[in-house]
Amino acid sequence: MNRIWSKGVSVLLVSILVGGSLSGCTDSSGNGNSGEAADGSYKLKILHNWNGSGGSDNGITPVEEVIKEKTGVTLDWEYTKGSETEKVNQIFATQDLPDIYTGPAWGGELDGIIKAAKERAARRYFRQIGDYPNLAKSIAEENVPPALYEKAINAYDGKKYLLLQNQPAQNEDGMDWLYGFYVRKDIADKVGIDPQSVVTKEAFYTFLKAIKDANLQENGQPVFPLGGFSNGWSVGIGNTMFNSGGSYVDKGDGTVEHNFFTKGYEEYTLFYRKLVEEGLMDPEAFAQTDPIAKEKINQGRIAILAAHYPAILDASKEYVTSHPGSDYIPVGPLERADVEPNRPADLGIQGNNVTAITKNCKGACVDAALKFLDYMASDEGFMLARYGVQGVHWDMKEGKPVANKEWFDKFTADQSGKVRKNEGITIGLESITGPDRINSVAGGDIWADQKRLDAMEQARKILRPNGIHVITAYNPGDVITKAPEWEMLKPSMDRMSDAWKEAIFAKSDEAALGIINELREQLRKTGYDQAMQFTNENLKGKDVVTVQMPN
Amino acid sequence: MIKNSVLMKRIWKHKLFYLFMLPGIIWFFLFSYVPLYGIQVAFRDYTFVGGFTGSPWAGFKYFQQFFNYYQSGDIIRNTVIISLMKLLIGFPMPIILAILLNEIRMIRFKKTVQTLSYLPYFVSWIVVVTLMQRLLTPYGGPVNDLLGSFGTDPIQFLNNPTWFYQIIVGSDIWKNIGWNSIIFMAAIAGIDQQQYEAAKIDGAGRFQQIWHVTLPGIRNVAIILFILAVGNLMSAGYEQLLLLNGPATAGMGSVLDVHAINSGIREGRLSYAAAVGLFQSVIGLILVLTVNRIARKVSDVSLF
Repeated sequence: MNRIWSKGVSVLLVSILVGGSLSGCTDSSGNGNSGEAADGSYKLKILHNWNGSGGSDNGITPVEEVIKEKTGVTLDWEYTKGSETEKVNQIFATQDLPDIYTGPAWGGELDGIIKAAKERAARRYFRQIGDYPNLAKSIAEENVPPALYEKAINAYDGKKYLLLQNQPAQNEDGMDWLYGFYVRKDIADKVGIDPQSVVTKEAFYTFLKAIKDANLQENGQPVFPLGGFSNGWSVGIGNTMFNSGGSYVDKGDGTVEHNFFTKGYEEYTLFYRKLVEEGLMDPEAFAQTDPIAKEKINQGRIAILAAHYPAILDASKEYVTSHPGSDYIPVGPLERADVEPNRPADLGIQGNNVTAITKNCKGACVDAALKFLDYMASDEGFMLARYGVQGVHWDMKEGKPVANKEWFDKFTADQSGKVRKNEGITIGLESITGPDRINSVAGGDIWADQKRLDAMEQARKILRPNGIHVITAYNPGDVITKAPEWEMLKPSMDRMSDAWKEAIFAKSDEAALGIINELREQLRKTGYDQAMQFTNENLKGKDVVTVQMPN
Repeated sequence: MIKNSVLMKRIWKHKLFYLFMLPGIIWFFLFSYVPLYGIQVAFRDYTFVGGFTGSPWAGFKYFQQFFNYYQSGDIIRNTVIISLMKLLIGFPMPIILAILLNEIRMIRFKKTVQTLSYLPYFVSWIVVVTLMQRLLTPYGGPVNDLLGSFGTDPIQFLNNPTWFYQIIVGSDIWKNIGWNSIIFMAAIAGIDQQQYEAAKIDGAGRFQQIWHVTLPGIRNVAIILFILAVGNLMSAGYEQLLLLNGPATAGMGSVLDVHAINSGIREGRLSYAAAVGLFQSVIGLILVLTVNRIARKVSDVSLF
C-alpha cells in the first residue's frame, strides 16, 4: 500500500514539475491579445514606449469608451518601465510585437524603429491613403523637419511606414520646455546671490561654491549644490557655456565636426570634473533611480536642479506646498559660447513621437488600426485625448473649450495624476493625436492651473530675453547615419556620453582628457573622418544646425 | 549489448529516482541545449525579418569587431580580475560556513543560521543593490552613521574605485554563501561517523577532526565544484555589475557580460553581442577542460 502511495505521489510531483516547466515555455503574449473582442469591438495591442508612462487602474476609461463608440476599437496598453531604446530592440529581436508601436522620435529609439521599418517589420500604412486624410497630413513633407523627413518618413523607396506626431501645427503651438538650471529661491536668498546675476561659468561655479560653503542641512542631511533626476538627467546641460550647443559645430571653413572633438568639449568636461571633485554636484546623480532623485527633491536636499521646468515644478510641488517660498526659480540666463549675446534661443521644436503599425497586425487589424489612428489625429480625437469627454469633463463656451470646474478642482488637487489617468487623460493617447494644435485649435491647455502658467511665463521672461528661434535646418546627426562607415562608427559614437561621465569622475584632469582622447582615437579608427567627409559633402549648400539649446 | 541491458535493468530498478531527474533533464534540454542553435547569430548579419536562420552569413566579422574594439582588452582583463577574486575569496567561504555549521550542536540555532544564510540567494540583485544604496550612502545611511559615531568621516562606498572590489566581492559572498554551502553540508553529512569516532579515540581534537576527517571527506565535491567554477571565469555576473558599476568605476567594472548586454539590448547589435557571448563560452569550455585534466592528473578526481 505504501509503495502505491509513494509511486502515486512521485508521479504527481514529477507531472507538476514537468508541466510547470513546459507551461513556462508557452506564449501568452503577442497575437493572443488582439482581435475581435466579445463585445464586438476590435482589440488592438498598443505599446506606449515612453519610460515611466502609465494608464488607468480602473480598466476601460470614459475617454476609451468614446473611442470604442467612434471607431469600434478597444485598447490593450503596454507601458515601458526602463530604457525606450532597449524596449525597441527587445520587441523586434524577440518578435513579441504589439499591433501599434508608439514612442520617441529621436535617438536610439528612432534608429531602432527605422531599422525595423527598413526590414519591413513595420507594415506599410498608406495602402488606403485616400481614406485617411488626417494621417496623410501629419507626415506631409511640408509638415516635417527636412532631415527628419529624409531619415525617418521618406526613407523606404517612396513607401511610408512611420507617422510623426506632436510637431507644432502652427508657431503658437511650439512648446518651449524651458530647460535650464533652477535654484531654490530660499537658498539663493540665504547665500545672498541674485540668481539673475549668475551669467558666466565662473559666476555659476561661485554660486555653487557659496551654497556648499553655507553648509546647509535638511533633516540632518547635507544639501547638494547641484543635482538632477534619474541617471543624471539633465545635469550636463551646462555644455552651452562651452560650445554652441549643437552636437556638430561649425569649423569656420564651411564644414562641421562633432563637438566631442573640440577644445570647448574638453573645457566642459574639466569644469564638471571640478564640480565633482569639490563636492559641488551630487555624486550619486548618474547612478540614481527616479524615485531616489525625487525623494531628494522632496526632502529639500537639492539647491540647484537641472532639467526642464515642467519636470521641476512637478517634482518640487510637495516640498513647495509644505515650505512656502522654496520655489525653484531660473538661474541666469547663462552665457552661450560662440554665440552672439542677443541671439534668440535656438530650439529644436519638432514632433516628439513616431508611430508604426507592426507586421503583427494583419487584415482586419490594419483597417482597425488605421481607422483608430486617423480618428485620434482628427481635431475631435485631439480634444478627446487632451481634454477628456466633451459634456463630461469640458464644454464649448463661446467657441472655446472650457474645463468643467468639478473636474478642474479634482485634477488640480490630485498630485499623483491618477485621477486624470482613470478618466483616460495622459494615458498615452496624447502621443498619437497628429500635429500639436493645443493653442491654434484647442484654445490653450484647459487643465493647466494658473500658478503653474504664471511660473512658466515668469521663467520664460527671464530665460528668453531675445525670444526663441525654431530650428528648421538639417541636422548633421541625421546625415552621418547614411555614411558607409556608420555601422562601424556607431558603437564608438554611442560611447560618447558614457566616456564623458567616466571622465568627470576621473582621478585627475590628465586622466579625464585621456579618456576623451582614447575615444577620439577609436572614433577615427572606426571611420569618423570619412563619415564626416561624407556628411559635409551631403550638407553642402544646405542650412545646417550648428547652434542649439536643449528642448 | 549485455552492458546496455544491465544499465536498462538498473534504470528500471531505480525508475522513481530517474523520474525525479526528468524535470531537470527537460529544463536543461529546453533552456541550455535548444538555444544552442542560436549560436549561428554570431556568424550572421542578424536582421529582424531574417531571424536566426534567414539572415545573411557574416563569417567572423563580429569577432573581429570585438577584438578591434579599443576597450576589449580592458573588458577581458576586468572580467578575469573580478572573477578570479570571486573565485579565490568567494569559493572557500561556503566550505568554511558548512564546516562551522556542522560544528554547531544547538540544532535550533544551527537551523536559524542556515535559513538566514540561504535567504539572500532568493533576493534579486536589484533589491540587493537598492538595499546597499540605502545602507551605504554617506548621506544618512546607517553604516556611515555607525562609523560616524566612532569619529570616522563619511565614506562614499558606491561608485568609488577605492571600495569597488570589496563591495563587489563582499556582496557576492553575502548573497551566495548560504546557498553554495548546501552541497558541502550534504557532503559532510555523508561522511562515515565512525571516522570521527576513530579520530576521537586517537586523541584528535575538534580542529584536528575537521582537518583530518571533514576536509578530506568533502575534497572530491570541492574539486568538482572548483572545476565548474573555473568555467565561469569569463563571466563576472552581469546583473550585479550592471547595477553596481558607475561612471567612476567604469575602468574597473566594465566586464564582458555587461558589454554583451549593452551591445545587444541597448545598441541593438545582436550579432555582435552573440559573438561576445560565444567568446565567453568557448573560453569557459577551454578552462573547464584544462582544469579537469589537471585535476584528474593531480587528484584522480574529475568531471569526466
